[in-house]
Amino acid sequence: MLRTTASPIFSSFTAKPRTSRLIFKAFSVLLEDTPPSARRNASTNLTTLHQGPPTSAYVHLPFCRKRCHYCDFPIIALGSSSASTTLHEEKRQEEEDDDPRITNYVNLLVREINATRTGFDANPNLKTVFFGGGTPSLVPPKLVSLVLETLSSSFGLCPDAEISMEMDPGTFGGEKLKELMELGVNRVSLGVQAFQDELLRACGRAHGVSEVYEAIEIVKSCGVGNWSMDLISSLPHQTLEMWEESLRLAIESQPSHVSVYDLQVEQGTKFGNVYTPGQSPLPSETQSAEFYKTASSMLRGAGYEHYEVSSYSKDGFKCKHNLIYWKNKPFYAFGLGSASYVGGLRFSRPRRLKEYTNYVADLENGAANWCGDGSVDLKDVATDIIMLSFRTSKGLELKEFGEAFGRRVVNSICKVYEPYVESGHIVCLDGMRREVVSDEFKKFLVGNDEVKIEDHVRYLRLRDPDGFLLSNELISLAFGVISP
Amino acid sequence: MAMAYAMDLSPPTFFLSPTSSSSSSPLRRLSSLPISTLHRHSNRKLQILCQSTAGTQPQSQSSNLSDANSKLSARSGQDRLLKVPISKVRNFSIIAHIDHGKSTLADKLLQVTGTVQNRDMKEQFLDNMDLERERGITIKLQAARMRYVYEDTPYCLNLIDTPGHVDFSYEVSRSLAACEGALLVVDASQGVEAQTLANVYLALENNLEIIPVVNKIDLPGAEPEQVLREIEEVIGLDCSKAILCSAKEGIGITEILNAIVERIPPPPETADKPFRALIFDSYYDPYRGVIVYFRVIDGKVKKGDRILFMASGKDYFADEIGVLSPNQIQVDELYAGEVGYISASIRSVADARVGDTITNFSRKAESSLPGYEEATPMVFCGLFPVDADQFPDLRDALEKLQLNDAALKFEPETSSAMGFGFRCGFLGLLHMEIVQERLEREYNLNLITTAPSVVYKVHTVNGDTTMCSNPSLLPQPGLRKSVEEPYVKIELLTPKDYIGALMELAQDRRGEFKEMKYIAENRASLLYELPLAEMVGDFFDQLKSRTKGYASMEYSVIGYRESDLIKLDILINAELVEPLSTIVHRDKAYSVGRALTQKLKELIPRQMFKVPIQACIGSKVIASEALSAIRKDVLAKCYGGDISRKKKLLKKQAAGKKRMKAIGRVDVPQEAFMAVLKLEKEVL
Repeated sequence: MLRTTASPIFSSFTAKPRTSRLIFKAFSVLLEDTPPSARRNASTNLTTLHQGPPTSAYVHLPFCRKRCHYCDFPIIALGSSSASTTLHEEKRQEEEDDDPRITNYVNLLVREINATRTGFDANPNLKTVFFGGGTPSLVPPKLVSLVLETLSSSFGLCPDAEISMEMDPGTFGGEKLKELMELGVNRVSLGVQAFQDELLRACGRAHGVSEVYEAIEIVKSCGVGNWSMDLISSLPHQTLEMWEESLRLAIESQPSHVSVYDLQVEQGTKFGNVYTPGQSPLPSETQSAEFYKTASSMLRGAGYEHYEVSSYSKDGFKCKHNLIYWKNKPFYAFGLGSASYVGGLRFSRPRRLKEYTNYVADLENGAANWCGDGSVDLKDVATDIIMLSFRTSKGLELKEFGEAFGRRVVNSICKVYEPYVESGHIVCLDGMRREVVSDEFKKFLVGNDEVKIEDHVRYLRLRDPDGFLLSNELISLAFGVISP
Repeated sequence: MAMAYAMDLSPPTFFLSPTSSSSSSPLRRLSSLPISTLHRHSNRKLQILCQSTAGTQPQSQSSNLSDANSKLSARSGQDRLLKVPISKVRNFSIIAHIDHGKSTLADKLLQVTGTVQNRDMKEQFLDNMDLERERGITIKLQAARMRYVYEDTPYCLNLIDTPGHVDFSYEVSRSLAACEGALLVVDASQGVEAQTLANVYLALENNLEIIPVVNKIDLPGAEPEQVLREIEEVIGLDCSKAILCSAKEGIGITEILNAIVERIPPPPETADKPFRALIFDSYYDPYRGVIVYFRVIDGKVKKGDRILFMASGKDYFADEIGVLSPNQIQVDELYAGEVGYISASIRSVADARVGDTITNFSRKAESSLPGYEEATPMVFCGLFPVDADQFPDLRDALEKLQLNDAALKFEPETSSAMGFGFRCGFLGLLHMEIVQERLEREYNLNLITTAPSVVYKVHTVNGDTTMCSNPSLLPQPGLRKSVEEPYVKIELLTPKDYIGALMELAQDRRGEFKEMKYIAENRASLLYELPLAEMVGDFFDQLKSRTKGYASMEYSVIGYRESDLIKLDILINAELVEPLSTIVHRDKAYSVGRALTQKLKELIPRQMFKVPIQACIGSKVIASEALSAIRKDVLAKCYGGDISRKKKLLKKQAAGKKRMKAIGRVDVPQEAFMAVLKLEKEVL
């Protein structure tokens, strides 16, 4: 009953947009106390948000010099000679320009984009494009240009579109960056990770601190106003002093955006084989929590807004592309292992080059589907929204959520969170985003149908940093409400 | 209460966790049998399928029997249904410790008397356990009627088997009460064991003629002379006419048969009195109802008679009567002194319990036979299905088991942590273990069992006395005047090297030393009195492990004594967790409390806040641990909008929470309850 199933008659026609085939029969699923008509009338509902054509595209450029020790992304390591950069910069640049692996991959990528025939009635231009990796800055600008041209001709590209690119220190010079900017790249995400050579070495990065400073200098001298710096906390052997130093140096270099990732030790990575989370040389859980809190307080102190669990930005510099993710809006994805969200379906492309190559061929001859198969489960939509909303400082908008999934669910979520509102992990906000104190909140929880809790408490959000730090625990509590 | 307990088997542990499995242990093998078969598990080889053989008449004599002697005995075996005068009837049983050769000897007796032909014997040696299970309608040897010609006179010998076990000493005593004599079989290399002693005393109480038999004299380690001395010294039996035999080799079998005829007295001549018969076993057959095994004490019974069970007050028509030889063979009439079975479409064994007296409905006996006792559960535990959906299945399974086990008691119980289940009462630990095993193995139930507890007698301030078997129902301290607990007398037989270790064990378990004596140069008997509650844990395991398996023990309940008992509560985040409450002696409360809180700290996942775990007596905290709060649980990484793996993790986390029981704000995994209950069994 919770499933809305694509009509089987159309299932073999890949050219038709998925979305037009999704029939939402089961609107009233999660909600018994509101007449279905009320929801049908709501024009843009959380349950229909994903149905429109995407205006964002993620493009995966998987090449790296070598795999970092913590990395489990789908990447292709080029294995080029290491370390000192400037000396061989030109030579290497030539090598990369001509590397047939990169050229072949980009050709494949272009074929994938071309084979994606969406069939939406309206085809709005793309507003954001994100080149992620891997190390996209290893790809020669002329190939980046090819990708952008293809995107533009397939979907259209807004003139003011946000075009981000992940770049690693030591993989680009001023000239290359300028070229990219001319192509339209207007946001740089710089993978700095740490300001200590010993830490960079320990996690197998292909660059040192000197390359970091060079890269920052290049970005600034090229006049990229919108740039982000990535840092990783809880690295092996990292001390609080080192972390504070990294944060201080990051702030001093004045990026408009900072992403702080807490190291996840993934199975199958080098770190996963060698280290156990919480055990030396990794920081303890307590230290690791301390790192997170330190980042939050230092960056906020320096004028950054902590707008998402791991994202900080200066005013007006939130990453527009990532906001699409947090709002559960649809987006295209192209390239090895990339995950798209179109028509309510999340679809991951093959992570291995060979399978991906076959996939693209299948796409071209109509044997594969560009946005995945299956049906939209409203419970999944609800849990996605919960999970994504709570990652942001905006939090979960209860009114909107209640209209989409039922007030009963909202009440249950509030009940489940009551102890954590009291303990301060969860913040309640009213329509004016003023905090509603715990005692007030409890009054609305009486379970009386006449008291509409969302009239008094409009948003629930995780407190920064205590709630953010326990986001998994807290979010999984709400998951329990959705699928009891 | 004259209920005696003895132990003679060596389970690897009394409290197997629901998942553990040790199929090779004797207990496992045993526990897969229906309750009524416990009595004769060691004779399992003689079990015969009723469907295939019941009612068949003895077949014509096989021509290839080896010698004249066996021909003669075989022929007499064929005639075993022929009536003999009461003076030529001998009723006896065999008393032996496990593995001392009881079943081999019984097999040999049946073979030599031609009751079972050599050809059939082989078939019976086959392990037909699986077949039994499939058919569910097996008859086990409970009694065997044999014909034996002694000095040209035919005799009718009835072998009545006794339950081999501890918890069933009442049934043992009823079986013995149906006999006039008993063979005491002792292994020539092992000597007298505690259980043997217990059953010999029961036999002596019933004024049985006891014939000492030293078995396995063919073994290299056999020391028959020393064993005979032991029997004389420990039991005080005259061993001048003891028989040395090897059942396996067939040595001394004729001497045993002769001694049965010569030395065991015939039943008294009471065939003219009103009909009275003693039930010594009954079992439930899904097709025919309860089959009752009995010994006619007075009078006679005919097929078609209306019979009355005097204790239960139920009356039935005897549809079928017969003898066991060893398969069921129908006869028309049975007289005083004879042993047989009745099938009367009886619905439940509770209507025809062991020890009850059968009489004629129209010519009632004046009084019932002495010795009947209601089954009194001594050990209790809670049984809960791990999966709440299995509750109706558990109820059905218990009801089915109860059809065949009048001693099994159960009532519904609800626990905040474990949901719906049953509080079950058992005769003893073995009985409990068997029932749990059967529920899990035969009915495919996955169960959590709480720590076994005993029945406490609570005197309240207003002068009432209540019996309490569930710690959570113990009246508040303010309402209690005193608490009494059941005590047992325990006799330990051990090689002298382990005396120290056993004394330490008994002392640990609040044992009160009574006596020690050397029963042989190298073996001693220790007598202690200790609380039953101290025995229901791992006492027997400890006994075996501290003596490398050499010691044996026997216990009997000797009554209630006042003890300084308190209720130990466990609080998690200041919430009382009822199923974890236990009744312990004040002196042990601290160590038990510490062990429980430490274990819980290990097992409860950390929460988003600090969680105190406390053990309390009333409001007084005696042990305390704290679970520190989770500091960080965040996936601060998101690439390319690929949230699928992250979501999977969160879903898993949410599902994990669902499997837990909420104690207040704390999620406690079921495994924690199970582990703690297991620990309680160990430390209490």
